[in-house]
Amino acid sequence: MNKVQILVVEDDAPVRSLITTTLKAHDYRFATAVNGNGAIMEAASRNPDIILLDLGLPDMDGVEVIERIRNWSNVPIIVISARSEDSDKIDALDAGADDYLTKPFSVDELLARLRVTRRRMALMQNSGQEAVFVNGQLRIDFASGCAYLGEEEMHLTPMEYKLLCLLARNTGKVLTHKFITRSVWGSSWKNDVGSLRVFMATLRKKLEKGEGSPQYIQTHIGIGYRMVRVE
Amino acid sequence: MEKERKGQLKIFFSYAESIGKTAAMLKAAQGQQAQGLNVAVGCIGARASEDVVLLLREFDRIGQADRDGLDLDQALKKRPDLILIDELACSNRQGSRHRKRYQDIDELLKSGIDVYTTVNVGNIESLHDTVADITGVRTWERIPDFVFDQADQVELIDMEPGELIERLKGSEEEDSLFTMEQLTALREIALRRCADRVKRLARRQQKRGFHTDEHILVCLSSAPSNAKIIRTAARMARAFNSQFTALFVETPDFKAAAAQDRERLRANENLAEQLGAHIETVYGEDVPYQIAEFARLFGITKIVLGRSVAARKYFLGKMPLTEQLISYVPEMDIHIIPDQSTDKGYRPQKAKSRRGLNVVENTAKSGCILTGATALSLGFYRLGFTEANIIMVYILGVLLTSIVTSHQIYSLVSSIASVFIFNFLFTHPRFSLVAYETGYPVTFVVLFLTAYITGTLAIRYKEQAGQSAKIAYRTKILFDTNQLLSKAGSRAEIIQAAAKQIRKLLDRKLVIFENVDGQLSRPCFFGERSAAEPSFHMEKELETAKWVMKNNHMAGAGTDTLSDACYTYLALRVSDRVYGVVGIEAANGPLDAAEHGILLSILGECALALENEKNVREKEAAAVLAESEQLRANLLRTISHDLRTPLTTILGNASSLISNGDSFDRETKRRIYSDIYDDSMWLINLVENLLYATRIEGGRMSLHTSTELLSDIIEEAIKHMGRQAASRRIKVIHEDDMLLVRADAKLIVQVIANMVDNGVKYTEDGMTVTVTARKKGSMAEILVADNGNGIPDREKKHVFEKFYCGSSKIADNRRSLGLGLFLCKAIVEAHGGTIAVGDHEPKGAVFSFTLPLEEVTLYE
Repeated sequence: MNKVQILVVEDDAPVRSLITTTLKAHDYRFATAVNGNGAIMEAASRNPDIILLDLGLPDMDGVEVIERIRNWSNVPIIVISARSEDSDKIDALDAGADDYLTKPFSVDELLARLRVTRRRMALMQNSGQEAVFVNGQLRIDFASGCAYLGEEEMHLTPMEYKLLCLLARNTGKVLTHKFITRSVWGSSWKNDVGSLRVFMATLRKKLEKGEGSPQYIQTHIGIGYRMVRVE
Repeated sequence: MEKERKGQLKIFFSYAESIGKTAAMLKAAQGQQAQGLNVAVGCIGARASEDVVLLLREFDRIGQADRDGLDLDQALKKRPDLILIDELACSNRQGSRHRKRYQDIDELLKSGIDVYTTVNVGNIESLHDTVADITGVRTWERIPDFVFDQADQVELIDMEPGELIERLKGSEEEDSLFTMEQLTALREIALRRCADRVKRLARRQQKRGFHTDEHILVCLSSAPSNAKIIRTAARMARAFNSQFTALFVETPDFKAAAAQDRERLRANENLAEQLGAHIETVYGEDVPYQIAEFARLFGITKIVLGRSVAARKYFLGKMPLTEQLISYVPEMDIHIIPDQSTDKGYRPQKAKSRRGLNVVENTAKSGCILTGATALSLGFYRLGFTEANIIMVYILGVLLTSIVTSHQIYSLVSSIASVFIFNFLFTHPRFSLVAYETGYPVTFVVLFLTAYITGTLAIRYKEQAGQSAKIAYRTKILFDTNQLLSKAGSRAEIIQAAAKQIRKLLDRKLVIFENVDGQLSRPCFFGERSAAEPSFHMEKELETAKWVMKNNHMAGAGTDTLSDACYTYLALRVSDRVYGVVGIEAANGPLDAAEHGILLSILGECALALENEKNVREKEAAAVLAESEQLRANLLRTISHDLRTPLTTILGNASSLISNGDSFDRETKRRIYSDIYDDSMWLINLVENLLYATRIEGGRMSLHTSTELLSDIIEEAIKHMGRQAASRRIKVIHEDDMLLVRADAKLIVQVIANMVDNGVKYTEDGMTVTVTARKKGSMAEILVADNGNGIPDREKKHVFEKFYCGSSKIADNRRSLGLGLFLCKAIVEAHGGTIAVGDHEPKGAVFSFTLPLEEVTLYE
């Protein structure tokens, strides 16, 4: 039985109905809000498990809604953006959103994102400060500072290891370039993005060997990276 | 700039004080106020009579200014409809914005405020001499004639002289009263001036170009009496309705002129300009010749000269200037104005300070040369050379002296000294100033004259050479300016070029402001700003520059407006369009007329260049706009046509599902769902392309680039492909999987997606589309190859054109928009890459494009 409650914030009625129909069909509980103020009210009163937030709201900017909610709650937020400009999504992610969907999106896509977020929630609840991180074949021993793929120890540079840990600790969440460079280098300027790409490419090469290997790290062009949970 | 209505100026005019101009003005204003106009008093003269005081109570006042002048800023702020200002000719207090009240009024008029004012006949510049001759009273409070002539209305306040005398009898002003005869004469002048004005107005209305064929030339000089001559010439010019030019002939002597002479010359120039003359300067030593040449070139018909000029310079047996001038231009009228009054003994004075500096140096030089000549002569004497040789040596010495020293006096003294030394050392009896032989006096005189004349000629030659070098230099600067400006492309370059030339010409510091949408830009200083400029206050300078831009008139140091600024500000303008303001440092005194003239032509050229640049820019912008308008129009036309097809399918399918969906079997339903899905995908792809197409502005695309991993981009592009792509095999080959490029990722994704989509669309099921990424020199190359039917050679060069659709059938029979490849080309070229299409072996087409590779320094 699905007990997860989802708050749908969307001002466009057909899209709202599409989302709620899908949620109903997949046995999610849901509440709706049609504007930013309503969203904050609902979020405060119902304490939902996940928020689906449209960025283009009539009364206030979606990013502002995220910032307000983040004041008191760590509820996962998935933003839905009709704008093709990446900067909006990045702003939203930097403001504390966990994931994003771009309109037009398919129902499957929406459900997949919800699954990812739920798993992340589950992980967060029982993880705390675990000493060992496991994802598919990947195993990171934080205490000894080693990463293993299967039984083999991975030979990572310090920078690659740092990036891997950062992604692992935020599995399921899209991390923006800015966030990553800030966390790793302490700054974020243009050159870092180039470096980041190179390190990510080498890390992925070491992590995803051969054709049949599952994909651990997703690249979100123009936005950032995400580690996905591998079954 | 806003074009406002210019205010109307009405002048109440009379021939003497106490006739009641002020009262008449106030009464007229009363009438205006009764009609609902907002009337305010700017200032009223000190000697207000009782009825004036009574009338004054009915009006508002501006500031507390009733006695000591007009508060201009307050007036501009309050903006009444009509301002009353007494005594038009008054000068302002020290420290006011303008020196003269009429300039205040001009500013008020420009800002659209009407002005009533009063003036006396004696205050009009061109009548000043005549009136002063009658009354014996000179006044400094004068207005240029154009103020009077350009007034919108002039009302003559008249009164019989007898009545006036009667009226003033017993009042305190009785002492200052003129006689009946004087008043009558003044009245006549005033009446005639008014009549003259009316006549001129009427004539101007009849025909536009109101100048007759006459052209009057007045010669400027630094003599105090010159002002009178200028005024006389101006009166003549008005009487003949002719053009009026004032000419100054700058002689080599002028360099050494004393400061007060320069000052007076400038005052005379200003006066001539106020009286409507064009100021011209020519260089040369021969004054009459220069005047004659100028007169001939510019078609002068009458030349006006003062007698003092005629008598002054050529005193040594030469013909007076007038005579020479007459012999040069016998066909011209020459008017000589008698000048018996003020400055009988006037001679232009040489500047003393400069000579003082050079005295020691020049004396030393002449002494050395003389000693050298003597030593050489003594040598010759020992060797037994004849006296003729020794004489030649001394002549050579004097010639050298005149070349190395700066004044004629040195060659004169040298000549005399040579004669005496020659006498003392080389004639019998030696070592005495006595000469026995009878021929010697002649020898001495000849030696002296030869030496002196040679020396004088040398000096004159030197001066002329200097003069022509100066002219050549200025001409060259003007020529260079022209060249530089025509080469300069942007506004900054034009400003730089002009500044460089002005610096070259004047060697003074300058500051340039541009006019950016009616606002002053940030000041651009040229030349080092030394810290030792205590009087330099930026706000004051800015205020002045702002005023210049607004009023399109020069101001600042050395002018009548805001003269406490450190720089003199001139407008960079083409007629009434101001493109900027140029400030010129005035610490070394104002510019002379010639410099000013050249400066004005440089500024004019600069303004013209700025205007041209602006026109070109506007034209380009218009062309770009037209092009993108055209592009948009084409897009809309094509889109609205092409959107219909998929929308019709979606609509039809959806409606049939709604109405009789239940009756369809599973297979039919599946087909309908999949059609709706495919059409939607097609629309989404179209919308993506359109979205990117809107970013093309004037054929150029704006990019948000960052360093990207090429393999990431390709992966993303493949992910974007629709379900259709699933039925083809898409193969990705990375020859070098660490290719970093500088690109706008979203756009490049779209390029690859479009190319792959093309490959998929134009090929049959089961075919392969290969995407290859590889390094090629300093570029990354991406190839998208299919093994479909390929593209015929004749179509290859068209495939990247806007709205071009090939002849071959698309797999799903749908017409393509012809936008995809055009967009690809625009995007790739905006990145600095190239795009191409070729044949794939054994069959099919290859689309390829390149992107610049990016080097990355790793930060561990």
